[in-house]
Amino acid sequence: MVMVRSILITFVLVLGIASSIDQTKEAHAFSGRLLERGSSGDDVIELQARLQWVGFYNGKIDGIFGYGTYWALRNFQEQWGLDVDGIMGQKTRDTLVRASKFNRDWVHKQIAQGNQFTHYGNTPLEQQTKAGRGTNGGQGQNNASTVQLPVKYSERDLQLMANAVYGESRGEPYEGQVAVAAVILNRLESPDFPNTISEIIFQPGAFTAVADGQIWLTPNDRAKQAVLDAMNGWDPSENALYYFNPVTATSKWIWSRPQIKQIGEHIFCY
Amino acid sequence: MKNAVYLLSIAVLALGLYSFEVRNENKLLERTVHAQYTNALTSASETLSTLQTSVNQSLLFQDQNALNKELDNIWRLSDQLRASLSGLPLNREVANNWMKYIGSIGEEARLAAEKGNYEAWHEKMGVVGSNLRNLSNEWEVATSRYFENDGDFSKWQRVLNNETEQDQFANVASNLKTYSETDFPLTASESDWLKKRELQNLDDKEITKEQAIDVLELLIPNIKDAAYTVTKSKDTAPYPFYHIQFVKGSRIGYADITVKGGHILSFLSERPVQEERNISEQDIRDLTYQFMRNAGYEDVEIIEFRENHQVYHIATARVYGEAFVYPDGIQLKVSKASGELLGLNAMEYVQKETIKEQPVKAIDWNKFFRPGTFVEEERMIYTENDLFELRLCYEVIARYDNELNETFRVVVDAETHEVIKVEYMR
Repeated sequence: MVMVRSILITFVLVLGIASSIDQTKEAHAFSGRLLERGSSGDDVIELQARLQWVGFYNGKIDGIFGYGTYWALRNFQEQWGLDVDGIMGQKTRDTLVRASKFNRDWVHKQIAQGNQFTHYGNTPLEQQTKAGRGTNGGQGQNNASTVQLPVKYSERDLQLMANAVYGESRGEPYEGQVAVAAVILNRLESPDFPNTISEIIFQPGAFTAVADGQIWLTPNDRAKQAVLDAMNGWDPSENALYYFNPVTATSKWIWSRPQIKQIGEHIFCY
Repeated sequence: MKNAVYLLSIAVLALGLYSFEVRNENKLLERTVHAQYTNALTSASETLSTLQTSVNQSLLFQDQNALNKELDNIWRLSDQLRASLSGLPLNREVANNWMKYIGSIGEEARLAAEKGNYEAWHEKMGVVGSNLRNLSNEWEVATSRYFENDGDFSKWQRVLNNETEQDQFANVASNLKTYSETDFPLTASESDWLKKRELQNLDDKEITKEQAIDVLELLIPNIKDAAYTVTKSKDTAPYPFYHIQFVKGSRIGYADITVKGGHILSFLSERPVQEERNISEQDIRDLTYQFMRNAGYEDVEIIEFRENHQVYHIATARVYGEAFVYPDGIQLKVSKASGELLGLNAMEYVQKETIKEQPVKAIDWNKFFRPGTFVEEERMIYTENDLFELRLCYEVIARYDNELNETFRVVVDAETHEVIKVEYMR
């Protein structure tokens, strides 16, 4: 009997500690850093989910602190009598944590599974999720964005260019990969080439990787980083429109182009 | 022996079947691609003919509405033709010349409609119309064999691999080049823009390789004593620069520094993920200003700040009076973990814009935007318009008051109140 009682007491104690740990995690789930426009990551996912819980945020929970999150946060600050600056400091964070709930595991599970979901507080969560990826940036559509791009580029552009860069130059130094990405972007600005990234990449004969199918290899993180740097303005090719491998190039025309510099195996020219 | 012959026969049979399958599959693919190319060629040829008619028709009208309709049509057709041409396996030179010429016609039509510059359009298009007719005829001759119903895919392959002078497009290519130069010479603004892009106007004193390394070490002191490989740009490069590649421990990177004046064009360093130092966004901002001070960029301010997986990408612009000069920007890449400078791009900043005085006329945003649109932020900026002219503009962040609070960046010329740009902000 004594044994049963001590087991019961232990069980209740363990349960109590566990639930208090859980509550502590709930109360201090944010990492404590300042969040503002331009921030991204798990803290922003939590911010968006909590703002949605209390009905201030109707956009996609994607971990990117853009204007949608900014206006929602300002509205929250205004309603709760806080300084209205669209920045989540300690005071705003504490107020938001007190006013809302965040089901971290559920939200991250939806994101990982690519489900469409919302996180409103007035509806059971199980009624707020739909399997499968949505097709546009509408309400509740999900999976977290991995990057913040300059406004003129989309994640589709990034993916397509990363495939091209990986297929064309995966054995090249990082500088050479950024340069290949920059050549694609330079063509986008040139009147001599098509108007979209996709048309430039798939223009017949434009890239060897398209012809030999290597464009369909899965790009690594380095290729994606190289594209991201090029999209943010870096151009190690110094405004080149073409590049070629001097060992394999046979076209007389490409050799006639004024050359700029050589990076790894590629000569860049315009 | 019998068994060996039996096995060999089976192997030969299997190989035969396999090669038959592969051949069939290849044939199927060739037919599909052949059909796609023929379709693109047909579409390009028809659009070219419609465009030529449309250009000639535009010469008929003086009435503004009728002419604007035709100009809009020309702009749309030129875009359509460019898209069809981009899907054809033409050799690079022919494709580029086509793109440029057709694009110039479309651009000219758009500008004529936008600016109401109809007289200049009529003046120029007389010649362009007749040149287009010539090109259309030559194109018809050059492409006639591709419509033969023989399914011979090798013809298309030859087009792609031939040198221009060897193939049937030689005349089209040479005429396109000539017409581009005579029909659409560069305007003063375009030519200025190209010069700036090519940094040809730099007339600073030349520096040596060693001095170029000193410039780099001033910006990133922690690569001091790295192993350097310095080469000079090719003789045909539009501006000379030193290409410095460095290795120090796990840091590998490059920098391009102009020979004239030792200006940093760009620098990038890659290194493995570093130990977290718990750096806040404010620290990153402070570090950014410190990096820029070290490099002597005293007149720039942060205009955009984007956090990515391992780095911050930060955009800055030169400040002139109360306005930000966007074309004189510098971009920085800073490690999230350690706050180390991993990249800097100052190519645009090197050759600063010449700023001309321009009147500023106030705008009543309540009249400019529809009710329900709120101007949340406003600042003055210098940016380039369609004609590559630097203009002083209002830049506003406008919020449309709906459920999603959709936000737009709108740039409006401060003198003419012309809308230069509208962007949807995430």
